[in-house]
Amino acid sequence: MIGCLVIIERELLALLRSSKTLAIFLTVSVAFSGIVLLKWPSSAIVDLNGAKGREVFQWLTYAMLAAAILIVPVFPSTALVTEVRRHTLELLLNSPLSRTSIYLGKALAMLGFVVLLLFATLPALASCFLMGGLSFTDDILKLYMFLLLVSAQLVVVGLLVGTYCRSTESALRWSYGVTFAMTIVPFFPDALFPGGTSPIAKAFQWLKLISPIPSLMQMLNKGSVGGSGLMETRDVVSWYIGFAVCFILIGSVVCILRLSHSLLDRSRSQGFITDDQSQWVQASRRVLYLVDPQRRSAGIPTLVNPLMVKEFQCRQFGRMHWLLRLVAGCAVLSLVLTLASAQGTEARGVEYTGALIIVLQVALIVLLTPGLASGMIAGEREGGSWDLLRVTPLTTGQILRGKLISVLLTLALLLCATLPGYAVIMLIKPTLQQQVVQVLVCLVLAALLSMLVSATVSSFFRSTAVATAVSYAVLVAIFGGTMLIWMNRESPFGFDFVQNALRLNPMAAALNAMQADGFQSYDLIPSGWWITGITCTVLLAVLYAQVLRLTRPD
Amino acid sequence: MSSQDAVVEIHELSKHYGEFIALDNLSLTLNRGSILGFIGPNGAGKTTTIRILVGLSRPTSGYAKIGGADCVRDLAKVRRLVGYMPDKFGSYDNMRVREYLDFFGAAFGIARKERRKRVAEVLELTNAVWMQDRYVESLSHGMQQRIGIARTLLHNPEVLILDEPANGLDPEARIEMRTILLRLAAEGRTLIVTSHILPELSRICDRIAIVAGGKLRAVGTLQEVTRELSQRRTIEIQFLTSTGLADVASRIRPTLEADAEVTVSEAEATIRCRTSANDQKMAALLNQLVTAGDRVSQFREVAGDLEEAFVSAARVAEAERTERESGAASSAKAEVAR
Repeated sequence: MIGCLVIIERELLALLRSSKTLAIFLTVSVAFSGIVLLKWPSSAIVDLNGAKGREVFQWLTYAMLAAAILIVPVFPSTALVTEVRRHTLELLLNSPLSRTSIYLGKALAMLGFVVLLLFATLPALASCFLMGGLSFTDDILKLYMFLLLVSAQLVVVGLLVGTYCRSTESALRWSYGVTFAMTIVPFFPDALFPGGTSPIAKAFQWLKLISPIPSLMQMLNKGSVGGSGLMETRDVVSWYIGFAVCFILIGSVVCILRLSHSLLDRSRSQGFITDDQSQWVQASRRVLYLVDPQRRSAGIPTLVNPLMVKEFQCRQFGRMHWLLRLVAGCAVLSLVLTLASAQGTEARGVEYTGALIIVLQVALIVLLTPGLASGMIAGEREGGSWDLLRVTPLTTGQILRGKLISVLLTLALLLCATLPGYAVIMLIKPTLQQQVVQVLVCLVLAALLSMLVSATVSSFFRSTAVATAVSYAVLVAIFGGTMLIWMNRESPFGFDFVQNALRLNPMAAALNAMQADGFQSYDLIPSGWWITGITCTVLLAVLYAQVLRLTRPD
Repeated sequence: MSSQDAVVEIHELSKHYGEFIALDNLSLTLNRGSILGFIGPNGAGKTTTIRILVGLSRPTSGYAKIGGADCVRDLAKVRRLVGYMPDKFGSYDNMRVREYLDFFGAAFGIARKERRKRVAEVLELTNAVWMQDRYVESLSHGMQQRIGIARTLLHNPEVLILDEPANGLDPEARIEMRTILLRLAAEGRTLIVTSHILPELSRICDRIAIVAGGKLRAVGTLQEVTRELSQRRTIEIQFLTSTGLADVASRIRPTLEADAEVTVSEAEATIRCRTSANDQKMAALLNQLVTAGDRVSQFREVAGDLEEAFVSAARVAEAERTERESGAASSAKAEVAR
């Protein structure tokens, strides 16, 4: 136990000494105070039933959950990888500390950090409490306990992911991926096949409950998301608590078991190559593989940008056989979406299904693009290969082109995956053809914007992990922040302010083109396109200037 | 050395970072086919010089030329002339050695067919053919150093600049590295090698340059450098017999300075003098011994030690720095007093 305390002290002090932590605390405090200020009653009439207080509380609750989902994975996911890379895990494992002490020390230190983060929201919640209508034990304390449980789950996810990854950047990317997969993605299947009685539809309804959001909604007496207006009758909170506790326990055991010297002594590939195998093996692999990943490559074609090929080769899933698998996966996804479009149309209208597909696509773009582009420059500088590129005759333009095209091609594949869904929409309602074209333009712009934001951020940092985290923050601010403003469209924001804010968000323009609920009254096209286009041009210019500066002699 | 043969020409090169002087008027020339050992303590200015030579850094004043091309103005030409291996390997994930070399070959604009041939050649030259299908990040440090050299050779550069190529290598790998470097020099390439492993450098380099505190302290052959920097020389006097050596030693002592060391080795019939006396004094001593009838069989100077020269240069730089700092402190005090 004393060993555990030693680790907690070291981890927590290291976290609190960092200027990044201070920035996070300040941002959280300011953001939450802002929410209270925006929702502060402006009317002179006194609200005696506490409805206003509850409304502000509801906003704060969602914001706190969002903050937990966005901030918590950063620290646990990189904690173990950093120890491995700095060789300090060897020292810890060779000390008298047990593996359990090391794990608990790290996990509890992260939770300590979360508690401090939650304290940063206290002033905002206190103001909310003063508005009336809230109980300290039934509302505020319960909310804090619930958020602590969610954070504990995310800490376990982060630490567990950290034992599988070799770089901080991939740990961060996978952590966010798993976090989003557990909190946001479970809604989509239920939203696409709502209210069904088939076993699959029922499975989707249960799948939704692994996310903390339905539980939070039930705690706030707000029914359930994607329930098509139906109130949730199940005890969602207890179900989630049971799931989260089991996950934390099982995840912790797995993590402790993995926390051994095997993390430091990973096997090195001996470079198995098909060309060196017997004729029989070569022939059988030719039959089994469309593209044999173990075949000796023919080399980069003379006229192709070498950096583009290098980017694909270095990416974990960038090799041809993986790209083929991605195309196949996308094709399956597109079939599912097509099915959903066709099934849900009668009940909710094509626009609803279209809006759902748009949100899903943008969510995928926002989730994947920082992973693809934020290591573009930062990764090279971090690994020491940037100087090697600088001493080659490659020009700034060639370097940028090669890197950007490799990301663009991957994103294009992703976008193409959902085209059949739009085809079905156009088949059902041919008059939507023009809108669908507009939506596609918006999605292309969303992909371009995400890529350029991540790439530009990458050029300002030396660490890929930091660049990835900052890229996610900027993209969430663009795509999520403007939607928050839209959600407050009745008060305190006016129509013009909301419209101007939405013009920054290509997803809002796509929803506007699709005439989705709540977006019909805005005029976002083509002004939104112009704004995104100009933003992309400015970002490209900044990126070019940065890369030019970095390639020139110091 | 005629400047027409010079492949590398550095003239009064300086680099300042604010008030900090990383390089101070460094001048140096290097002929084709020679190996220059560039040594100095940490922070001496070696890497700064190298980064200027390969076009990664811009000098504050002075210039550097490689093969007649200015390292600032003719950067494109310099990049083709120079092969640079930094102290950090710079690996990429999920890339095999062959792909890694293929990428850098393509980056230098070598056509695919020619590149394939060239990759095979450099792998052969660095004894690395057997690791061509391994993943770069899975290689040991020694293997990565070899691949690093193979990478620098891809575009067939005239000058190779290698920053700490023997760093972290085991003795066997170090011997292999030495063989590779000598082979490259024999092919007519010019090499600039930095290292902290001084015995290694003294074995392969035909010229040594010692930098410390941003200044070039000595340059020349190993013997020239050690003589220039060592404050004392070792003179070995061998006699035909060992009888009466103590008596001879007592006669030698008064002819040298007070703190000179005179040691007698009866088993070798030799007297060794560690002295700062110049050549004239040494000639006079020899004359005195011969006149006195001592049967001298050999009278020679023992080649100095590179480590000693290195330490000596570092001490001079340290003394200069201390002097500078104390000067600055006393002038600041005087300013306050005023």
